[in-house]
Parts: sequence; C-alpha cells; structure tokens
Amino acid sequence: MKQLGPLSIAGAAGVAALLLPLVGSDYAVSFSIQLLIFLVLAYSWNWIGGYAGYTHFGQVSFFGIGAYVGSLLIFHWNLPWYLAAIVAGLAGAVTAIPLGGAMLRLKGPFFAIGMFGLARVLEAFALGFDSITHGGTGIYLKPLGDLRPLYYIVAAVAAIMLLATWKLDNSRLGLKLLAIREDENAAESLGIPTTRLKIGTFVASAIAPAAMGSLYAVYLGFIDPPTAFASNIELTTIAMVLLGGMGTVLGPLCGAVLLSIVNEVLWANYPQIYLASVGIIILLAVLFTPRGIVNLGMKSGWVAVGRPLFRRLAARAGQAS
Amino acid sequence: MSDIILSVENVSKRFAGRIALDSVSIDVARGSVTGVIGPNGSGKSTLFNIIAGTLRPDRGRVLVDGRDITLASAAEICGLGVARTFQISRLFAEMTVLENLIAVARGSDDRAAIALALELLDFLEIADIADRWGSELSYGQRKLVEIARALMLQPKIMLLDEPFAGVNPRLQNRIVEHLKALCAKGITVFFIDHEMRIVLKECDLVYVLAEGRLIARGDTQTVRNDARVLQAYF
Repeated sequence: MKQLGPLSIAGAAGVAALLLPLVGSDYAVSFSIQLLIFLVLAYSWNWIGGYAGYTHFGQVSFFGIGAYVGSLLIFHWNLPWYLAAIVAGLAGAVTAIPLGGAMLRLKGPFFAIGMFGLARVLEAFALGFDSITHGGTGIYLKPLGDLRPLYYIVAAVAAIMLLATWKLDNSRLGLKLLAIREDENAAESLGIPTTRLKIGTFVASAIAPAAMGSLYAVYLGFIDPPTAFASNIELTTIAMVLLGGMGTVLGPLCGAVLLSIVNEVLWANYPQIYLASVGIIILLAVLFTPRGIVNLGMKSGWVAVGRPLFRRLAARAGQAS
Repeated sequence: MSDIILSVENVSKRFAGRIALDSVSIDVARGSVTGVIGPNGSGKSTLFNIIAGTLRPDRGRVLVDGRDITLASAAEICGLGVARTFQISRLFAEMTVLENLIAVARGSDDRAAIALALELLDFLEIADIADRWGSELSYGQRKLVEIARALMLQPKIMLLDEPFAGVNPRLQNRIVEHLKALCAKGITVFFIDHEMRIVLKECDLVYVLAEGRLIARGDTQTVRNDARVLQAYF
C-alpha cells in the first residue's frame, strides 16, 4: 500500500482549494472561508499546544484583539481590509510578547485556565470600553460584494501555515519544542533554551489568529465582544486539533475539514440535536483515537510517519560511511 | 588553566529544617574519574542537583573552571560544558533515539549534528537502536542513550547520576569501559552512585557522604579501609 505523505495530501487540498471558487456556489465559498479560518486557527494552536505541549484555552484572545484592531482601522480610517488584517496580525504579535512573558511562567492546567481567564478579561474590556469598541452594540462594517478575494487570501494563509508546520516538523526547532512538551526540566538541563523557545512559539502562534480575527469581522460585516472572543471558536479549534492529531503536520487539516463538514451537515439537517451530536462525535474520537486520526494512520501505516528528514539524512550518512 | 575543573566550596542545604548537606567541599581534577558514594539519604542527589543547577544551595558556592555557577540556570551551566544524565531515565519518549540526540545538539548544522549522533551511537555500540522510540527501550539501553545524549553537548565534564544503579554486571562493565574511553578523550567524569564495588574499582578519587557530611576522601585503597566508611556502609 502506498503511504500518503503530508505534501501529497496538502497538494491535493491545495488544488481543490484553488478550483473551488471557480466551480463552487457562493454558499460553498462562504462555507469554505469559515473552514479555512478554522484551519489557520488550528495550525496556530498546534504550534504551541501540539508541538510545545502548552495546551491552552486562550487563543481566541488574539482572534478577538485582531478582530477589533482590524475593524476599527477599517471603520475609522477606511483602511483596505487586507491591510487591516496585516496590522491586526502585527498587533497580535505585539500583545503576545508581554502576555507570553507573563503567562508562560505558568504550567499545565494553570496556564490553560489562565489563558481562558485572559480571554474573558479581554471580552469584558471590549464590552466596557464602549467609547472605543462600541461595547455591546458592536461595530458594523460595509459588507464585501464578492467573497472570492477574501477566500483566496485566507486560503493562502492556510497554505503558508501548513508549509511552515511541515518545515517545523522536519527541523531541529521542532524537535526542541517536542522536547519541551516531553520533559521541560530535562530539556532545560540539556541546554535547550526553553523560555526563549516557548515565548517565541507563543508569539508566532498569535499572529495568524489575530489576522484571522480581522478577516472574520470583514466576512461577517460585524463584530461585537461575544463574537470576537467566542468560547465556541476556541473549543472548536482545539477539538479539530485533537481529532486530527496534536503535534502533526496533517492533524489540523484532517480535523478542520472533517469537523467543519460534520458540523455543517448536522447543523443543516438536525438543528435541534446539532450541538449534542458534535459533542458525541468529539467524545467518541477522544475515546477511540485519543492521539488523533493522523497518529492512528501513522501507526497503521497508511500515513507516512512524521519527521522523516533526520531519518533519511541518517540513513544516507550511514550508507556513505 | 587550573587542574581543578569543578569545585564545590562549603555547600550546605536544608530541606524543611532537615540538613541534607552540611558544608561539603569537593574538588574534581581535570580529566579524572571522580565518584561520590554514600548510602541512600546521604545527600548525593542533592549535591548533584546543586552542581547541575536544578537546586540552589543555602550556603557555599560551585565553580566550573574558576567561574561561579552557583546562581546560574541549568541551561547556562550546560552551556559551560557541563552535561548530565538522570538517575531515572528522562529520555524523550515520543522521539526516536536519533531524534533524542539531535534535539539537544548545538550549532546550526543539521548534517554535523547527525554525523555526531551516529558517531556517538557507534561509540556506545547502540547504532542498531537509532530508529527505536524512546518509550520502547530497555532499562539498560536507556542508560546508554542518556550518556550518548549528554555527549551530544560535547561537554568538558560529564555528570552521571547513578549510572550503575539497577544495571546488570555485563552492562556495568560496558559502561565502565565507555567512561574510561571518555577520559582518554579528555572529558572529566564525575558521578554519584551507591554501587560501591564499581566506584571503588574505577575512580581516581572517591568522596564518601553520610548524612549530609563528607566522611572520607581519597583513593580507592584509603577509602576502602576507612573505619567511618565501613561503619556507614556495613
């Protein structure tokens, strides 16, 4: 049986993503934008939660910050939406530096819950500072006439995230992050600069979500605090990574595509039992594939085992000597 | 350069009022094999963790090559050429043996890191397990991979935490041979163990700890015949 490698699967997904706006309906494009936004969120979360092992419930903080920064720039200064998204991404990075320095002193459940608390605090700020954020009324943006340009931009960011993750998976940086996940004290004792790497990864994993927040506001044409800092977005992102496989290249892709489609089908056909069904699916997935679909695939041999580069280089060096 | 590469000066440490180390001083000569032995609870691990930077002493200081590292972090100490192994294996379980080594490699050259890793696996005669997962290894294999991983840091001093504990005699001899080979390469070996037979046979200098105090110091013969050592052990 031929094994599926990350790049062949990513290539197939890329071709499908390129063709979709040409042949798909407006509904398909709109649905795919949401899927791709979640894909980007899942890849970002996978860096800090999956590779470095710092799982947390606060990525939506950066999504929300980005949503507000982008929306305000568009609302007050009429900045084009794609430029607003870039500034929003930078704003995410800039806020992540001090937050990472402070929050990453915590570990395990304390970090996870602390980050959740941070998102709630920011939501309360967004509600409270209504002279800036328009509070609970929210900010209304001019709706986009054609969603296709937005689609292509989000798809391009998703592709970059996938390739960056593939590169990380095959690099010593990736191994160092995994070492932090496996045993942070041992990693530190063996000279791995854990603090620097953790903060760096945390900051890197905040950029794309902040940009996505801004693009999501443009997509909806509206943003308010419960939408910008929605727990639902956070939990769906984490469920996608868990379902697909934490700390893998293909995990977020599998998880995001599968869960988005299942969500959509259930929501369209069984709106009354939609949330309960999603809950049951996640429960079953965690029970039967606790390491995710991709890890299951690696074990059973139909997906190529991760991090092949060093093994290949070592095999070559071994033959040469 | 002085001949003393590692020096522990009057180090004391208490845990909740109980004395773990009481004004302990140790000198490790460059290129030597130096061992610290002592029964369980004698303060060996505390001493080891203070040297490796994972514990801070209440008093006293630790010098590497004359530089005070008492307050340095574990990673900084590692950067000065001090590499350690762990008493209970702390290999990265979800990485292969090769990845365990490459993860801690220095420098930015992947090929050099891989070449060094393969060379060390050959040196320790464990090249056949390069692709096995950390979680799949036997106890003895873990001990050897721990040593290989510490050697990836190309250290000046190797700190070995009970390298012989729970290891069968054949493997003990293998580890001893490797340690001698390391010394021949100019690496200083410092270890703690309660396996008296091996320590006394192989060390240039032995320190004996009991109840947080140094009770003897000297070459194998001196320590073997010391009345206080015999009393502490038997």
